[in-house]
Amino acid sequence: MAEATTTDSAHANDAHQHSTKSYFVVWIILLACTVLTVLTGRTDLSHLFPSANIVLALTIAVIKASLVVWYFMHMREAAGTNRIVFVTSFVFLLVMIFGVFGDLWTRSPMTLPYHTPTTEGPEIMVPEGGHHAPAHHE
Amino acid sequence: MSSSDEHAHSARHPHLAEHFETIQQQDYAARLGMWLFLGTEVLLFAGLFLGYTVYRHFYHATWHACSQALSLSLGATNTVILISSSLTVALAYWAVKVGKRNLALGLLAFTILCAIAFLCIKYVEYSHKFHVGELPGKWFRAEELMQYPAANMYFTIYFLTTGLHAFHVIVGMSVLIWVMKGIIKGRYTPDYFVPVELGALYWHLVDLVWIFLFPLLYLI
Repeated sequence: MAEATTTDSAHANDAHQHSTKSYFVVWIILLACTVLTVLTGRTDLSHLFPSANIVLALTIAVIKASLVVWYFMHMREAAGTNRIVFVTSFVFLLVMIFGVFGDLWTRSPMTLPYHTPTTEGPEIMVPEGGHHAPAHHE
Repeated sequence: MSSSDEHAHSARHPHLAEHFETIQQQDYAARLGMWLFLGTEVLLFAGLFLGYTVYRHFYHATWHACSQALSLSLGATNTVILISSSLTVALAYWAVKVGKRNLALGLLAFTILCAIAFLCIKYVEYSHKFHVGELPGKWFRAEELMQYPAANMYFTIYFLTTGLHAFHVIVGMSVLIWVMKGIIKGRYTPDYFVPVELGALYWHLVDLVWIFLFPLLYLI
């Protein structure tokens, strides 16, 4: 009985009696990141480098998500197994997206679904009354 | 021998299930199960994010034009609501752990109100889209976006991702109501709070998904 009580209270105590301050700090950072992403989101940043907008927006999103996972979801106190399980799902997400990008980045223009016909290549057959592409009515 | 068995039995944690040796083992299993489930949730949304990526690659100008058609102020408001509700649910978990029962209930009630506010704003956005015809597939009839090829695909992906997310908001809300019920009944205390922790984790996942949906749909 005595042994069980000590393990129980040890369990409650290892339950990290850190203050709630870190939660509020994280919340403020998350709000600041949201303001930053809203302000930069619809401004054209492509003069910095191509696709600067999506790179910045996704970087901010990854920072926000990491803060939520690390502090709010207590990943910093989670068992190693749980970290591996959760992080692995993101690894497979990246494998899936970049695997598909291998196809997208190496396609010949003719295999793209929306392709503007040029005089160099063969004409694309557009079915009668098919989809409306601006290239055909401009 | 039999007396020590009986002794061990009397020392059992009131919430320890038959098939676990100790409460630590049970907590460990519960947490691992939850993280596994959250991993599958990430992969569930991953499929939709992949669809988004592919169509965005094919129809870059369309994606840009359609994202501008969404209401940035409503989307940003919902982001702030979800981030703040993530804070309050994290605080509620802390409050249960340190035994501040009423504070925990208040924080959870606030979180649920945030969820309701999120859904109301989502409803305003959806009804506007139904009104102007920014709809998926053959229902698409928004005149000003007609010139963009596959604009209806943008709204297919918009409704699929935000719809699945809104469904998660409803489920998360129900989970938090269930957690509140447990706290009212005195089931969750500083000695036993893992269900509160797991419910909070689910709510954080809802926030996590929105953190990516918001910039991808509304901003770029």
